[in-house]
Amino acid sequence: MLAVKTDKLVKCYGKFKAVDDLNLHVEKGEIYGLLGPNGAGKTTAIKVLSGLIKKTSGTAKVLDIEVPNKLVSGNVGYMPQETAAYIGLTVHQNIEFFGKLFGLDKEHIAKREKELLEFIDLTDWRDELVQNLSGGMKHRVSLACALIHEPDILFLDEPTVGVDPKLRIKFWKFFTKMKENGTTVIITTHYMDEARRCDRVGFMRQGKLIAEGVPEVLMKETGTDSLEDAFLKYADIERPPVRPGVK
Amino acid sequence: MNMKRVLAVSKRVFMDLKNDKRSLALIIIAPLFAMTVFGLAFSGELKDVNVIVVNHDLGMDVPTIGEINFADDVVNNLDSEVLIIEYKSNLDSALEDLENGEAWAVIYFPEDYTNNTMASMNPMLDASSSIDLYIDMSNANVAESVIMETNSALLATIEDTGGGIPVTIERIDVYGENAEFMDFFVPGIICFTVYLLTTLLTLMSFIGERVSGTLSRVLATPLTESEIVAGYAITFSLVGTFQAIFLVVVGIAVFDVMIVGNVFLAFLVVALLAIVCQALGILLSAFAEREAQAAQFLPFIVMPGFLLSGVFWPLEAIPAWLRPASFFVPPSYAIEATRSVMLRGWGLDMIWPQVLALIVFAIVLLVLAAISLRRRG
Ligand SMILES: Nc1ncnc2c1ncn2[C@@H]1O[C@H](COP(=O)(O)OP(=O)(O)O)[C@@H](O)[C@H]1O
Ligand SMILES: [Mg+2]
Repeated sequence: MLAVKTDKLVKCYGKFKAVDDLNLHVEKGEIYGLLGPNGAGKTTAIKVLSGLIKKTSGTAKVLDIEVPNKLVSGNVGYMPQETAAYIGLTVHQNIEFFGKLFGLDKEHIAKREKELLEFIDLTDWRDELVQNLSGGMKHRVSLACALIHEPDILFLDEPTVGVDPKLRIKFWKFFTKMKENGTTVIITTHYMDEARRCDRVGFMRQGKLIAEGVPEVLMKETGTDSLEDAFLKYADIERPPVRPGVK
Repeated sequence: MNMKRVLAVSKRVFMDLKNDKRSLALIIIAPLFAMTVFGLAFSGELKDVNVIVVNHDLGMDVPTIGEINFADDVVNNLDSEVLIIEYKSNLDSALEDLENGEAWAVIYFPEDYTNNTMASMNPMLDASSSIDLYIDMSNANVAESVIMETNSALLATIEDTGGGIPVTIERIDVYGENAEFMDFFVPGIICFTVYLLTTLLTLMSFIGERVSGTLSRVLATPLTESEIVAGYAITFSLVGTFQAIFLVVVGIAVFDVMIVGNVFLAFLVVALLAIVCQALGILLSAFAEREAQAAQFLPFIVMPGFLLSGVFWPLEAIPAWLRPASFFVPPSYAIEATRSVMLRGWGLDMIWPQVLALIVFAIVLLVLAAISLRRRG
């Protein structure tokens, strides 16, 4: 069973195809990076997969269940691109609220919260209202809310935007650790350099997947030494998606 | 529906209000302000007040003049602009209508009214005539105007006959003895502020949820639309009840407000109103895209509540063609019900039509609110 599988997935806003014929296969337990410039359709794809919006056509399956479906929502963690945390609540109240939505009991929430606060480096800010935090701090609270229930699949939409480089490294270490615990991580970013840490990446452009594979293989295939250049090479070639490294 | 998640939402909304000093102040200060300012300033002109005339006056046959009937003259002098007069022959059945709230007053002329009046014109006889005025005092405004109208009709009749007749009106208060404007006003202001604040607070809170993305985010968790709506309903019905208790206490302590009925029944009505209003707020938020737009909804929330709910002046005071519009303004039911409870001492057996209307409103709006939260596109 694949963690995520889409087949000819299309999402239109009016007449505009934000996601166009997307075929995405993500194995369980891998870190998959969805890369592409602004407007490529990454957020739209993540929103369909995490059940926020309805697809227009095609199939979109998460853990073999067609989404949106409340059956999978308990196994999914979703961190939106915009900082979606309750600004009128404290950091603690936010994390606790999301914990309850996923049916965790008080002790479990307390234990997880402690770990997460240490991880996002906000232990001292636990009882501060989120509206009084800086943008980056809010973003970290938002991430903690997505992680509280230790989901099987984690959708992270641009989690490292506005996060300082030191913390960014910590984030990636954490994602790797989650992967080791069996979590599938699907992450979007337009910072191509950090995407090297993914097991596999997919290049998106104008709603389409133009290439997909292991970062090193993609670079080798295009004779480039950065994912950025590799992306540009693929973007130049107008042809069906190539999947070097996939049997 | 999972009760744990509903309560989580309810607590979240509660914390949001509690953490925000402005919301908190709004919940407490706004109703106090309204009570003081409007309570002291308002009174209004009335129209179309239902009264029942029971005329048992036998009249009198006077040689050279013919048949005279003073009661008929008085009735003819009643202002038909202000009063809608219904005639009944049976006093008991008229009083029953009064008790049921179908009329605001019963004007009763006894059999010997003309007789006594004629006799009282004769200074040699120690006679006086009187009519009985039974009044529902639960609405002080209306009651006072009925008394005024009756008095001026009597005066006009006296002027017509050109004589100084010493007439007295015997006033018998049926409900709300010694009710003053403030007594009449407090139930209205409770419902009005609960209506206004609940609708506004949920509206703003939901526009915020939509704009910040928290709404779509929580909908991606196991939380369902109806659980969100139910959670909000719990919090705001509690907040509404709290406001009602607070206002009643202040009303009694500061304004010496009189309450004859079961105040808990009134609180129940207010809680029901709050549930209706929070659903309305959620529903309205679906039409807003930015937080600033909440202000644009304000007139559409305030004006109907102000004009058509009967809070500041009775529904009898608005033009007849506009009155059916009040059927669509939920606080109008709550105001009528809480007033009947607090001033007339009515129970659920009497206010059930209003309670039923509120329940229907609540069910319809809750369902619509839940539907409006469904993810789109
Ligand atoms: N709600 C929407 N209505 C209309 N167009 C939208 C909406 N959301 C996104 N788009 C458009 O869809 C395209 C893809 O957007 P998005 O998925 O956010 O891209 P990315 O996340 O890769 O930057 C963009 O051109 C964007 O303008
Ligand atoms: Mg995006």
